[in-house]
Parts: sequence; C-alpha cells; structure tokens
Amino acid sequence: MSVTGSRRLLMVVASIALSLAAGSVQAQTRSETLRYVTGASVNTLDPNIPGSTREAFAVSLSTYDRLVSFGRKQLNGKWVFDLGKITGELAESYDVSPDGLKMTFRLRKDAKFQDGTPVTAEDVKWSLDRVVTAPVLGKAQLLTGSMTSADQFKVIDPLTIEVTLPKPDKLALPNLATVYPIIFNSKVAKAHATADDPWALAWLKENTAGSGAYKIESFKPGEQVIMARNAAWNRGTADKSAFFKRVIVQSVPEPATRANLVERGDADLVIDLQASDVQSLEAKGKLKVISTPQYNAVTFVSMNNQIPPFDNVNVRRAVAFALPYDDMFKAALFGRGSPLFGATWADGKPSSGAYPIPQPVKLDLEKAKEYLKAAGMPDGFSTTFSFNVGQASTAEPMAALVKESLAKIGIKVDIQKLPDAQMSTQINEKKLPFFTEGIVAWLPSTDYFYRNFYTGNQRWNYSSINNPDLVEIAQKARFEPDAAKYEEDGVKLNAIHFNEIPQIPLWQPSQDAVMAPSVEGYTYQFHRQVDYRDLNRK
Amino acid sequence: MPALGATVIRAGRRFLSSLPALFGVLVFTFLLMRVLPGDPAVFFASGPNAGKEEIEIIRKQMGLNKPVPEQLMLYLYDVGSGNLGRSMMTGQLVTKDLRERLPASLELTFTALLIALVTAVPLGVLAALRPGSIIDHGVRFFCALGVCVPTFVSGLLLIYVFYYLLGLAPDPTGRVDIFASLPPRRTGFLLIDFLFAGDFDGWWAAFRQLILPALSMALFVVAPLARITRASMLVSLGSDFVRTARSVGLPWWRVVVTYALRNAILPVITIAGIVFSTMLGANVLVEKVFSWPGVASYALDALLSSDYAPVQGFVLLMATVFVIVNLLVDILYGIADPRVTIG
Repeated sequence: MSVTGSRRLLMVVASIALSLAAGSVQAQTRSETLRYVTGASVNTLDPNIPGSTREAFAVSLSTYDRLVSFGRKQLNGKWVFDLGKITGELAESYDVSPDGLKMTFRLRKDAKFQDGTPVTAEDVKWSLDRVVTAPVLGKAQLLTGSMTSADQFKVIDPLTIEVTLPKPDKLALPNLATVYPIIFNSKVAKAHATADDPWALAWLKENTAGSGAYKIESFKPGEQVIMARNAAWNRGTADKSAFFKRVIVQSVPEPATRANLVERGDADLVIDLQASDVQSLEAKGKLKVISTPQYNAVTFVSMNNQIPPFDNVNVRRAVAFALPYDDMFKAALFGRGSPLFGATWADGKPSSGAYPIPQPVKLDLEKAKEYLKAAGMPDGFSTTFSFNVGQASTAEPMAALVKESLAKIGIKVDIQKLPDAQMSTQINEKKLPFFTEGIVAWLPSTDYFYRNFYTGNQRWNYSSINNPDLVEIAQKARFEPDAAKYEEDGVKLNAIHFNEIPQIPLWQPSQDAVMAPSVEGYTYQFHRQVDYRDLNRK
Repeated sequence: MPALGATVIRAGRRFLSSLPALFGVLVFTFLLMRVLPGDPAVFFASGPNAGKEEIEIIRKQMGLNKPVPEQLMLYLYDVGSGNLGRSMMTGQLVTKDLRERLPASLELTFTALLIALVTAVPLGVLAALRPGSIIDHGVRFFCALGVCVPTFVSGLLLIYVFYYLLGLAPDPTGRVDIFASLPPRRTGFLLIDFLFAGDFDGWWAAFRQLILPALSMALFVVAPLARITRASMLVSLGSDFVRTARSVGLPWWRVVVTYALRNAILPVITIAGIVFSTMLGANVLVEKVFSWPGVASYALDALLSSDYAPVQGFVLLMATVFVIVNLLVDILYGIADPRVTIG
C-alpha cells in the first residue's frame, strides 16, 4: 500500500515537473504563434471549390501565391488594401501593352514551390486554365475581368507568361490578385488528377500544392487549421518570410467566448465579435481595436421593385424617408461603421461618382406621408420585413425600429426571421418584398457595383430593378478609359439610383479587429479576412 | 452462462425488430429535408460572383438535379453500402465527420450523466429518507435551480467565473488545449486514448477541458433524476419488504441500499436512458458555448444551411443510438431486477 502510494506521489511530482518544463517551452514558441479565433470555419484548402467559406479564402492566401497582389495604403490612419497599387507576388514584374490588350508577367527566378521545385510559366498556365475551365468559383470572378478561355494564357518562355484580352479591361489585372487565380504546382496536381476530375478538385480540396508563405500542418474541417511557416518564402512586402512560425485558425462559435479568449490573452486576434463586446473591450483599453469601415461593403434595406406596392417609386421614397436611420445605426452597430444617410447634395446632384455615397435621406415622417399620398396609398399597407438568422444580432434590433417607425405612416410590418438557406433561396426566387441584406465587392468600382447589383434578373440584384438607362451607362463605363468621363458616368448612375431609390443604402459596417497589443501590421483586405502574412509581433 | 446467451439472442432479436423503425426514420428525414424551404445549392453558391451556373454545379454535385424518388433510391443504396453522403459545409464525408465527432459528444454526455447520477441518486435518497425536512427542501431548491437555468447560461456563467475571473479552468475551446498534441487515435475518447498512450499530462488537460461543459450539462439533468429517485425511494421505503427488513434488525444502510434502492432504481434507469439520448442530441448549446466539436452543433449548422446529408446522417445516428440505449436499459433492468426479462 505504502509502496504504491509513494510511487503514485512520485508520478504526480514527475508529471507536475514535466508540465512545468513543457510550459516554459510553450511560452517561448507562444510569441511566435498566432492564434486566430473565428465564428466561421474553414471547409476547403482550395478556395475555388463551390461552397468554400471566407475563412477558407484567408487560409489559401497564405498557402498559395498569386501572380500579383494588392498593395496597401493608409486610410484615416488605418491600413487598408490599395486597389490602385498592384505589385508582383510570383511575378517579378509585369507590363500592360499600351492598347491594354496584352499583359506580360515575368516570374521570379527564385520562386519555389513548397516541395522545392521551381515555379514555371507552365504551372501558371495550368492554374489559370483551371480557373476559367473547371467548374469552380473563380470562373465567374475572372469573367468580370474579361478572362474566359484557356487560349488567353500563353507561355512565352519558362519564366514568362502572356495574357491576352479581347478588350482593354481595367479589372483584368486586379482580378488576378483576387482569391481564386492562385498558382498550383501543376506537376503535383496533375499527378492526383483522374479521368473524372482532370483538375484534381477533390485532391486539392484536402491537400495543398503551392508556393505560399505557410504550409498546412493539420486541417480539421469545421474545427481548426494549423499552419507552419515556409521559411523559403520571400514574396512578402519586405522580401522576407512571414513573421509568425505558426498560425492557428480555430473555430469558436460562441462570440462571448471569443471575446473572453482575446481579453485573457489566450487568443491573439479576432475580427468577428459582437459590436457590444467590441465596445466594452475598447473601453477597457487593454487590447488593440482597429475598426475599419468596410468600404467595399454596403448594408441595405431592399425593396422588390417588381412586386406591389414597392413597384411604385413613391412608396419606395416614402419608406426611405420613414426609416429612423440614427436609431438603427446605434441599435444595430453601436455606431460602428460609416453611415450612408443624412447627406446634403448641393442642388440635388450626387456629390461624387463613387459608389456608395451618402444619400440625402433622413427621417422625415411628413415627407414620407406625402409620398404615400402621391402613391395613392394614404392609409398605408401591410408587408413583411425579412432578415436571416445569421445576421440576427444586427438585423433584429433594426427590424424592430423599422416596424415601429413605419407604423407611424400607416405601413404595417410583420417581421420575418429566416434561416440563412431559406433567405438566400427566397431572394434568388425574388419572393421577398422587403428585407435587409448586405453586399460586398472585391474590386469596388462604381460600374462593377451597378453591373452586379442593379442589373439583370439575377440573385444579387436584390431590388430586381430593371432600368435600361442604368444598364447602358454601367456597361459603357466598364470600358471607359478616360477618368473624367468615368466620374461623369458615376454621377449619372448615382442620380438614377437616388431618383429610382430601388433600395436604401444604410451604412458600411466596420470590421472590428480586436487583437493583443503586441500584434502589428493588421491590414483590412478586400476579402474581409485577415491576411496572416501581414502580421507580426513586436 | 445460458442465461447470458439467451439475453444476447433476445437483445439481437430486439435490435432486428427496430430496423423497420430506423428505415422509417431514414425515409422520413430524407423527405422532410426536401420539403423544408431553403435550397442548399443557392446557399452554398454564395461567393461574390456566384450566379446561376454555380448554383447548377452545386445542385448537380449534391444530386439535386434528379427527381426526388430517384434521389431517395440512390440515397438508400448509398446508406446500404455505408455511405451517408458528403457534407457541403465541411467538405468531408458525413461518415467521417460523424466518426470524428461522435466520440466527443459521447465522452461529454457520459461524463455529464455520470456526474448527474452520482449527484442525483444520493440527493434523491437523502430527500426520501427525510421527506419534508430541510434536506428535502434543499434538494428541491437545488433541482429547481438546475432546471430553471438553461444550459448555455450555466455554461457561460461557469466560463465567466472559472475561466475569465479565476483563471482556474483552461480556455473553453474544444476537447484539448490547442497547443497540446493529441494521442494516437484508438477509441476517439480522449480520456481513454491518453491513458493508452500513457500521457498523464494530456489526460489531465483533456479532463480539465471536459469538466466545465460536463458540469453545465449535468446541472440541467440532476433535477429529473433526483426527483425520480426520491419518488421511487419513498414508495420503496414505505413498502412491506422494507418494513420487514427493518423489523428483523438489518443494519439501516443495508435496508436502504440493498433492499429499498435496488427496488427503486428501475424508473431511475429508464429516465437515465431517456436523459442520455436527449442529452446527446440536445446538448447543442453546450457544444456551441464550449466550442465542443460534437455531433449536435454539427447537425445544427447543417440544418441552418440546409445541408441535407449531415442532417440525415445525424438523425439516423441518433435513432440508432436511441435504439442501442433502450436495449442497454432493458438489459440493465434484468440485472437490477432478475424478474424482468426482455422480449
């Protein structure tokens, strides 16, 4: 008895000593590890796979390189991506021909895949062919940059590749910096291709074959991804490998738990906290909070322009002047974002040709009643206001305020909360009369917004607006080389928007990145996720 | 030995007779998922440029382009050959996801049930021994409290106190510290795998992660178990055989434990079986709060995004677990009371 007792004691002592030792080893590597927690999850290692999540985009940006990437700039003291500055990633340099029809990329001579083989123009060609040919998400994206066929990509020599375009398209080059046209190690990928799956979609979903800054150490879909630094990678901004030796991307569904983790210093960075938690963490002042208005995203109250009563422009105007904007902004976002209401336009002309711009609307019930009268519905009507469960934390308080305020002008609103899949289905089928949704554009230019979100009988045209003038101007603007004329077109589009008021832009919510004070280099990226390669610890 | 053989045969027969029910559940869930509004293809084709073409690709991938009866036939054929389909959400085979996640849920539920039983049965017995006393009221109050506080509230509260304020508990994210290495997978139950690997630090770490979620789940089910124990003990204590046992001067603990409790335990086992099955499916809130990679939170996420295959797989799994648990309960009946046989 006493023998086993003392043995047990010894074991306990030994295990405590061991755990202390392990603790000190851990502490050394802890500062070189970035632990990022998120409510979402990574479901594929290839962002091209239909259904891939935004977190998956972020991971693939670290494990793969693209030909080019966006630079960064400071906007109100915060680092954001810079659409206007495109720098080489795998490309050492690039040229665009004077007529804008040819782009030539020269690859870095020292660029190697993670298996040590050099990156060649053949790999680039295979990867770009895959994006425009295989049934992947990148196809629709590259279409917006006039890249649709494998014939457009030509290998000139082992380190040079040429892209030809049917028309000079401003968005062609930026498109190559988006998430999808990543460069695969084509030899490895081809070795895993099958007759049914010539582009190795199935294999690349769970394995990587890239040249990026990080290698996948472990991947548990829906739970966590652990990445280890690729020491040979030198495509960073300062031409050196990424700072963190290890990056842990972990799914923590409960927002309160994420807030606790980062506050206690167990997690280093989180970007999807609830606005109320961000507010209180910021007030405590222990952590660094970087709030960047998502200037490529917009939240709307949308109305279906094809369904009565919202097919009547005066009804839409009435609603636009009956929303309690300030209260909604405070209740939904705690004021964290940049408002798109309450502007004054000199002589009623749009203040700029950019999109989105603040609209000259504010809460004015008298005006709203007049518009309702003009629409022939002085006593109002009944409708439903829908939002999805995933956005409930912001949309729920907002919906209550909409209901309350519209009741004052006689519009009776029923609030409808829909599961996310149901909401997207109903939007796609154009069945919802009145709802709130958000949009985002990776390449935010005025014509892109109007072409994608205001034209055609398609899902992203939330308001189902069908205005031939708007379509014509937006299509023309796409290939407009002259900046002044482009601006003029933008102003025209914005004027049509306000006149027709197909949907009501509310605000651009902030991306609140909450991080340990030691974490530096955070940059707001077009994909609204964290680019782990940007970060370091002081 | 022959008695054991007979029990096994009976149990097997019992299991076979529940197969039609499982089949019914399978078909019903399949049809229900397709009747529910919400098109998974539209939901998953949600990239910034996803249009009609992407939706069609996904629809084809999920087999939704075929008529429903054909889909059902294909699905039944697949299930028959052990394939539950692929989850769009995680991109993995549903069987793989469930195999990874079921042990996590089972480990948590077993621990919670164990804690609940170890607390509830003595509490119930104590309350029954002194009905109307301060102990009885105390137990009643405790039970009421446990039932009133929803599991996610008690979970968040426990996290707040033990992790956030006191720093005693490890961060509430999953089954093991993110920086720790996992033992080689044998059973999927971390506590067992760590023991096999001889890694006691790991065992301790996993145990520490487990204790808070298990507690918050246990709190919720202590009440029904304790109340049933108390009621059934009261009946048992008032019965003739206890009076006889007392009158022949048996020691009190023997009267209470051997005679009264053994007779009173049957309804407790029944309730424990039901509680277990319910906990396994319904502990989604605890799994969410503690980022526990279990089956319930997996199924909820799948349901919200209308991801058919995981939901169907989950329901089938739960039905199977329910059948097995009921079988176990029946066998335990036989042990607790030899007069009961399962047939």
